[in-house]
Amino acid sequence: MPQSKLLVFAASCATIAGAMCFCLHVVHGQSESQNWQPPPVPPTQPFPAYDPYPPGILPFDIASEEARIMREITGIENEAITEWQALPPPVVTGNPPTIMGSGYQAVEVLGKLLNYDLNMSPFKDTACASCHLPYTGFSGPIPSVNLTMIAYPGSYRYRAAKRTAQRYTYSPQFPVLEYNTEQGLFFGGNFWDGRSTGYKLQSPDSEQAQHPPVCTLEMGLPDTACIAYRLQSAKYKSLFTEVWGDSLDISFPSNTEKICDTPGGAEMLGTTATPIQLTPQDRAAATSVYDHWGQSISKFEGSPNISAFSSKFDAYLAGNYTLTADEMAGYKLFDGIGNCNSCHLDGRSTLCVDQTYGCSPASSGLADTGTTAQVNPLFTCFGYANEGLPLNPRISLFYETKPDAVGYTPNPYGFAYRDLGLGNFLRSGFGAAPNPNASWIPQAPSVDGQMEVATARDAAMAPAQCPTTEAPGPYFQKEFFHNGYAKSLKQLVHFYNTRDVYGKLVTSGHCPAGTTEKVNCWPMPEVPNNIDMTTGNLGLTDTQENQIVAFLQTLVDGYTTPYPDYDTFTGKCFKGGTAATQGNSFLIPTPPLPPCASAICGVAPLPGPKPIP
Amino acid sequence: MNRMLLKMVMAAAVGSLLICNAAFSQAVPKPAKKAAHVDIIQGPVLEFAREDLAIVRWTTNNPGGTDDHFSVVHYGTNPKDLSQTAKSHIRLNRFHQDTLFRVRMDGLSPKTTYYYTVTSEGSDGKGDGEVSPVNQFTTPASGELVQAFPQPQPGIPPK
Repeated sequence: MPQSKLLVFAASCATIAGAMCFCLHVVHGQSESQNWQPPPVPPTQPFPAYDPYPPGILPFDIASEEARIMREITGIENEAITEWQALPPPVVTGNPPTIMGSGYQAVEVLGKLLNYDLNMSPFKDTACASCHLPYTGFSGPIPSVNLTMIAYPGSYRYRAAKRTAQRYTYSPQFPVLEYNTEQGLFFGGNFWDGRSTGYKLQSPDSEQAQHPPVCTLEMGLPDTACIAYRLQSAKYKSLFTEVWGDSLDISFPSNTEKICDTPGGAEMLGTTATPIQLTPQDRAAATSVYDHWGQSISKFEGSPNISAFSSKFDAYLAGNYTLTADEMAGYKLFDGIGNCNSCHLDGRSTLCVDQTYGCSPASSGLADTGTTAQVNPLFTCFGYANEGLPLNPRISLFYETKPDAVGYTPNPYGFAYRDLGLGNFLRSGFGAAPNPNASWIPQAPSVDGQMEVATARDAAMAPAQCPTTEAPGPYFQKEFFHNGYAKSLKQLVHFYNTRDVYGKLVTSGHCPAGTTEKVNCWPMPEVPNNIDMTTGNLGLTDTQENQIVAFLQTLVDGYTTPYPDYDTFTGKCFKGGTAATQGNSFLIPTPPLPPCASAICGVAPLPGPKPIP
Repeated sequence: MNRMLLKMVMAAAVGSLLICNAAFSQAVPKPAKKAAHVDIIQGPVLEFAREDLAIVRWTTNNPGGTDDHFSVVHYGTNPKDLSQTAKSHIRLNRFHQDTLFRVRMDGLSPKTTYYYTVTSEGSDGKGDGEVSPVNQFTTPASGELVQAFPQPQPGIPPK
């Protein structure tokens, strides 16, 4: 055999062997899901399901779980229609004109109607709420998705994006993204990577609500004007007009239905963001409707319906709840040796005086003069940090390298994709959004890998049937951090505590024999630059970690007043195991990683001082 | 009378501007007051080392200044040429008396002795003023670990 043919043969054998090895490991990761079958073609869409995934990435129950979510959403939407019908007739008076008496209710109910409207997607099967339901604190509502594919399937099943669904709770409180020169820091914005800046509407949360409807991997509408088009036939159209004064009498061309029924990114639409041909006046009207869509949803998210300040901790601040011994210990650790409140600000001016919880011996002579500086602390600093999380090979986007039935390829880079977070957004990089402030671009290398500091409030929220996120439960399987690497709050706290104690020079799924991933082995960071060293070796004991988890559970809304629509979960709880190793049977080995794609890591200003591997 | 009225209007205008600015900037707290003097009160010591990576830690009194701070290590294999620099983000806790600084140095060579000094600076680039004497550590062979910082025992917080 000629040498060249021999080389080709050898390479083919190696590829097949490698693929077999990889697939076997992936199948192993499905061991708790023996009933897995390829998902049926979703009844809502005219195309075959997009399934580029190796077995085990799409959960075995995805079809039934999607159906459950649609039922739950329809139920809440019907409830919102009843609430709308119960609103008093609007009395618009004053200058500027105001809906006197019922204006707040009107905007909130409108936001709720929009948030739960499944029609706002090409196949009328996906609402904003599809990834955010009340019983999880408005984060991801499907336990099996949280275990296996991290990101949620969009309207075109089963395209999916790259990060966990962030909680709605308190998101309207984030200020407009700015670089504060005095602090030398970025503050504000919405989304893990800050790409919803708020530059135009002066509300990051309102602009956040404008992204998923036209994200190709989420709700997937191809044109923002599709929202105005779908509103023309919405039951609650009159409420939208009453609140905003927008005319929905836009002259849409005859092909609008066909365009809005086509998922974004489809080859047939070309590359334009505005495939619906409108007059300038009608385009302006549709854009105004889209702005008011975002503002309505933001008002709903900021209302007590979602951001309720009704937790045990709020009751404690008001003197109406006594923290248990473990909760109080967790609180002191949160402020003390855990140092959690250096970013997750708890609004108290408490001096760190208690050496039992890791405070300085130098402070022993001080009295705790701490008072409540803020009655509604948000448990975030509105900042960004790279906590050094490992690359999670379960993220669906890594596998979406083939074109779907309409010719769209979500991720041509496969495992050469790296999530640089805020740095990627500042460069207007792949998978982010255009950065509206060019003066920030030089800062990109100093924030590569940084993700938004989420509020710690409601991280622990879980449905009443399985009221914890922690095994053995009965528990609701959530996912934590931007890439869903932690599957319990115990793991999250343990990561902060021991990242640098048990750091190994391996990728996820390859911890050395004799170690257990997430227990005494943390794989290396996906983005090694700008790692936050406030955490990583906190010196907490196992008991102290559990006490911090107990404290986090006091931050769940719904203690002082019932949390609206909290009782809508109709799925199943998980049981058994331990919080420390929760979800570990779904770990899969990271394949050999190619170098970071030049479309991501080769965009100026280049990551540094060291390149991203 | 007119002059008095003008002064009152101007004062009111300036006052309202100040109030507006205060409200606007509430979300972004100003940097904390800087400490008069920053001293290293513990360390620096090696916390962890493997063939390619080392972590050094030290404690100072809380330096104040910007919330985001950098732990800084100047290092090299020659004690007279500490020309390499590693910086790591840490976030000050305004209500702690002390601040723990930690730095990751990666891209190191195995079985090599490194010399270093440590200091710290705010994210505005202003140094805190403290500089340690020259210290040293040696990276282990490939596959080995040095876990120099004592690990906590249950119920006993680290000193």
